[in-house]
Amino acid sequence: MIPVTWRANFGYLLRHPWQLALALLGIAVGVAVIVAVDLANASARKAFLLSMDAVTGEATHQVVGGPGGIPEETYVQLRTVHGIRSIAPVIGGYVTVADTQLQLMGVDLFAEQEMRSFTAEASKSTTAGGTNVEALIRGFLTEPGTVTMSRRTAALLELEVGDRFEVIADGRLHNAVLLGVFGDADAAGLDRLLTTDIATAQVWLDQLGFISRIDVRVDDGDNAMVERLESVLPDGTRLLTAAGRTRTTADLSAAFMTNLTAMSLLALLVGLFLIYNSVSFSVLQRRGLIGIQRALGVTRGELYVLILGEAALIGLVAACIGVLAGLWLGEQLLMLVSQSINDFYYRVNVTDVVANPLSIAKGIAAGVGVALLAAAVPAIEASSYHPRLAMTRSTLEQRTRRLLPVVALAGCAAIVVAAAVLMFSGRNLVAGLSAVFLLILGFALCIPLLIRVISRTLAPAAKRIGGTLASMAISGIAASLSRTGVAIVALAVAVSATIGVSVMVDSFRGSVRQWLDQTLQADIYAGVERGSMDPAVLADLVALPGVENYSTSRRSFLEDEDGRTQLVVIQMAPDSYAGTEILDADPAEVWPAWESDDVVLVSEPYAYRNGVALGDTIELRTAAGERDFRIAATYQSYDINASALLISRSTYDRHWNDDGIDSIGLYLADGVDAQKVLQRIESVSAGRQQIRFESNQRIRDLSLEIFDRTFIITDVLYWLAIVVALIGILGAMLAMQLERAREFAVLRALGMTPAQLGGMITLQSAVIGLFSGIAAIPLGVVMAYVLIEVINRRAFGWQIDMTFAGGIFFSALLFAVGAAVLAGLYPAYRAAQSQPALAMREE
Amino acid sequence: MRAFGMALFASLICVAGVTAIGENDAANGSRLAELLGSGDDRGFARALQPRSFSFPQDHGPHPEYRNEWWYLTGNLDGDGGRRFGFELTFFRFALEPSMPETDSNWRSNQVYIAHLAITDAAGEKFYVAQRYSRSALALAGAQAEPFRVWIDDWEISTESAENSNVWRLQAGEREFGLDLLLTAVKPPVFNGIDGLSQKSAEPGNASYYYSITRWQTEGLLRIGSAQFRVSGLSWLDREWSSSALAADQLGWDWFALQLSDGTELMFYNLRRNDGRRDSHSAGTWIAANGEASHIDSGDLDIVVTDQWQSPSGGVYPAAWTLRLPKKSLTLNVRPILDNQELITTVRYWEGAVDLSGDRDGKTIGGRGYVELTGYATATRGQWP
Repeated sequence: MIPVTWRANFGYLLRHPWQLALALLGIAVGVAVIVAVDLANASARKAFLLSMDAVTGEATHQVVGGPGGIPEETYVQLRTVHGIRSIAPVIGGYVTVADTQLQLMGVDLFAEQEMRSFTAEASKSTTAGGTNVEALIRGFLTEPGTVTMSRRTAALLELEVGDRFEVIADGRLHNAVLLGVFGDADAAGLDRLLTTDIATAQVWLDQLGFISRIDVRVDDGDNAMVERLESVLPDGTRLLTAAGRTRTTADLSAAFMTNLTAMSLLALLVGLFLIYNSVSFSVLQRRGLIGIQRALGVTRGELYVLILGEAALIGLVAACIGVLAGLWLGEQLLMLVSQSINDFYYRVNVTDVVANPLSIAKGIAAGVGVALLAAAVPAIEASSYHPRLAMTRSTLEQRTRRLLPVVALAGCAAIVVAAAVLMFSGRNLVAGLSAVFLLILGFALCIPLLIRVISRTLAPAAKRIGGTLASMAISGIAASLSRTGVAIVALAVAVSATIGVSVMVDSFRGSVRQWLDQTLQADIYAGVERGSMDPAVLADLVALPGVENYSTSRRSFLEDEDGRTQLVVIQMAPDSYAGTEILDADPAEVWPAWESDDVVLVSEPYAYRNGVALGDTIELRTAAGERDFRIAATYQSYDINASALLISRSTYDRHWNDDGIDSIGLYLADGVDAQKVLQRIESVSAGRQQIRFESNQRIRDLSLEIFDRTFIITDVLYWLAIVVALIGILGAMLAMQLERAREFAVLRALGMTPAQLGGMITLQSAVIGLFSGIAAIPLGVVMAYVLIEVINRRAFGWQIDMTFAGGIFFSALLFAVGAAVLAGLYPAYRAAQSQPALAMREE
Repeated sequence: MRAFGMALFASLICVAGVTAIGENDAANGSRLAELLGSGDDRGFARALQPRSFSFPQDHGPHPEYRNEWWYLTGNLDGDGGRRFGFELTFFRFALEPSMPETDSNWRSNQVYIAHLAITDAAGEKFYVAQRYSRSALALAGAQAEPFRVWIDDWEISTESAENSNVWRLQAGEREFGLDLLLTAVKPPVFNGIDGLSQKSAEPGNASYYYSITRWQTEGLLRIGSAQFRVSGLSWLDREWSSSALAADQLGWDWFALQLSDGTELMFYNLRRNDGRRDSHSAGTWIAANGEASHIDSGDLDIVVTDQWQSPSGGVYPAAWTLRLPKKSLTLNVRPILDNQELITTVRYWEGAVDLSGDRDGKTIGGRGYVELTGYATATRGQWP
């Protein structure tokens, strides 16, 4: 019996390929987005950990110092006075070769045996005569500029062993020669890594007298060694576990990845409505068939299994398509992800998407799961019909109407739960995201009841204005709510997402723009991308004619067990103070103390994340050991790495041995042409150090450009959600048109022209769009609020003023109506073209 | 006779990384000779004629020469007569004749390697450790006044310039170590012709070579958690050159023997590839009053009376009878422990020996150190 019913049902699906295709597409898109985001995240993270591990090697611990690094004498003392042997000095930094950014690692080959093997490797073809490694040691020690890199990196840079090339470090050009290559094709963790002698690295990175860190290898369980090291380490240094250091660095980019995941879930959520629509539609379409099958003795259980099985199969097929699409999409996303991580966090070289089985399994599970979930309700419904009733449509609608208050109540409950989660989940980002989805779900469940109320209210008015047809169009929506409800909900969710996201992005952008206007006080900014400015160049720049004043800034980091603390070190010019908006204290009192005392200002994100406030003290590791610093105020910052402490140059110089300056702000005298000064900067720095310099205006534009680029991913994802919703509407309208073919035929027989019929259906589409748009507005506003106040804050700690761009709601309405009308055109055309006689013959 | 040091550089390289010794070099000796004989030594100073030595300056480094070593060996008695031997050696290698101009303190053309070995005859154990470093910052180096040579926390030093005949040796690993005070009881002797030790016929294939052959030694020796108060005699060999071995020389046997009548005998037997003794083999006889006399290759007769099969492969001589008719001396030389082989890329045997025999018809005893190279094939070993 079952095979026959299966055949009957699948036969039905095959005769309606459109519906099948829509259901497949809906799930596939959702799965594709999930898989893509998951793969991109997993690949980026894996590549990141791989390169951290490769560079860490056998080291179990690392000694880190202050912003300027560790005095090299500290390392020498550990070896010569304390006899500690399993340690290796490292100088780390970044350089550029042929426009490619590379990580530079300066090592002492004699200490490397304890830590890493690749650093001492060299190719067989290094030199003629002598052994290769002898040549490596000789070259590293005696020839400045000798480097090694992985075979893959050499291929990437199109370099061969023995080639000479130029390296830009700290904005200065240096000559390098490729002494040898190491690593085989699988050593992806060593990609874009340049190894050189510690002496060369010191010169290139301008770290004479200092090293970046000391790698330490401690045998398992040798706590005595750890204690001994800790007892002899000088003030200003700290012993960290290598694993902890990797983790905290990895965590830096975690917030970014969570945001992506949130977006992918949003896409799936919209997909869920679509799938529900498709599956329930295909079930409802077959209610006649189901009625016959029930009448013929198919049990409820059999029917239930049949419908769910069908959904699972569709889900599986669609998920497989989705996975394939996701692999492709993942690669596109990965480029964006790794770009963002490289820009802000660490060297990752993600060249391929790692098609890890977990991501794929997740996608398939999501696809099948969602399909089953979507089919469960219709399956229960269908199997619970009395055979005779199942054949009538009115029964279904009656049931739907009876259910509406229950559904709406469930929706309200979901909203309440979501609000509770938001209130009690502290700073947990995942909980925040879950609440957002619950909120959307709750709203969605309320929408059908809302439509019924609205359409009932509107129908009389519509009759007065647009006549019977308009009234019919509107009441038709309410009459077939089981169908239209889903379409409206899907569109409403998609549109609300666009409202929520655009309000969030616009508000954010507005805040950033305002902040930029305030922060960028100087007329011209000049600096180096990494490292510090050449003091001689700096002196010449600030002495240029027309320059009235200048400020300097330095960004440095203090590492400890919990991660990194960012110090923004500023030497203010008189006009600079106005550039920092103090949120919770009187600037007139704050600034003098900030200049002279051991105080810091904390950025708003820092305060939020670390739970500190005005008046608290923060303990920082200075060159002379731990010192307390008082928080004098909180300031506003939308910098991408905004979690920072603002500290005055004089305070910084009192406590740390780092005289580096990253950038300067030049304040010009009145009437001086900035363009002329820019040209002078170019000629002053040419050939000495690569200085990046931009006018105030240009930096503002560039910053907003970067901002916009950051939200490209957001854009891409919500457009995907809209495509999903559009397909949903098309499906719903087609279904309605098919179902009501006889009704339309009667109307036609009663004298309605094809144009009138088409018009009525188009009007109905427009009204569906309108309802969706209306429903989307409150949801969109709530989403925007939650995105700004909860998600952004929890992810980045930013406080953003919510602003509504004029016309956002109107354009959302317009968009919803337009989309619905567009999706309804084809069904309207088909209905208008149908032959009333054919349609009525069924009677 | 420690021209051997250059080969150690090859072993260092192997430790640092990948293959150093070519896969096809079956015989260690030929490879050794190639290493020592080849290479561009232009720019380095060469040992061409005798020089005048002065101390303490010449205890310090001679960086203009390619290689140099400070070789200390000794026989010690612990509490209750427990017998020990030790070797503490510092090698210096110049990678290039001159140093590149640079601002970084890490830049260096000098590399130091040190070996520490302790023989515990009663425990039948042989302990070996190695250190290496560039001579930069204070990581490793050597200086004349006050004399000091060191890598990390291993060092040989004098307390002060005035007291330059008292040296302190400090070196150790987790499992073993030593802290010894050495007092020279004889002045330096100059081997070869006034300290110029010719290693082959080619001019410049020579080294400057002096020894201090008798040091009263006291101090502490540590094995595991056990500490021993020790005393005995030590021997210093100092040598520097820019090239040393000829291509047809396979290895050498070096004897540093301290006799019970207050005399010492040093002899290096250079073995050629054909198995015969090279005519440049030579030695020095040091009388009890410190007076030195040269010993030619033909003066000393050596008969191997026992052999030892190394578990790592290769057969070493393990006992000898030495006859020096000039001094009416017959000596039987026997190691206090068979296995005193340093397992490195270039494996070598360096160990404490006991002496017995007669001189002028009277029974004589003594102790010493022997170094044997070129008996084992080059294998890629692991440091203990």
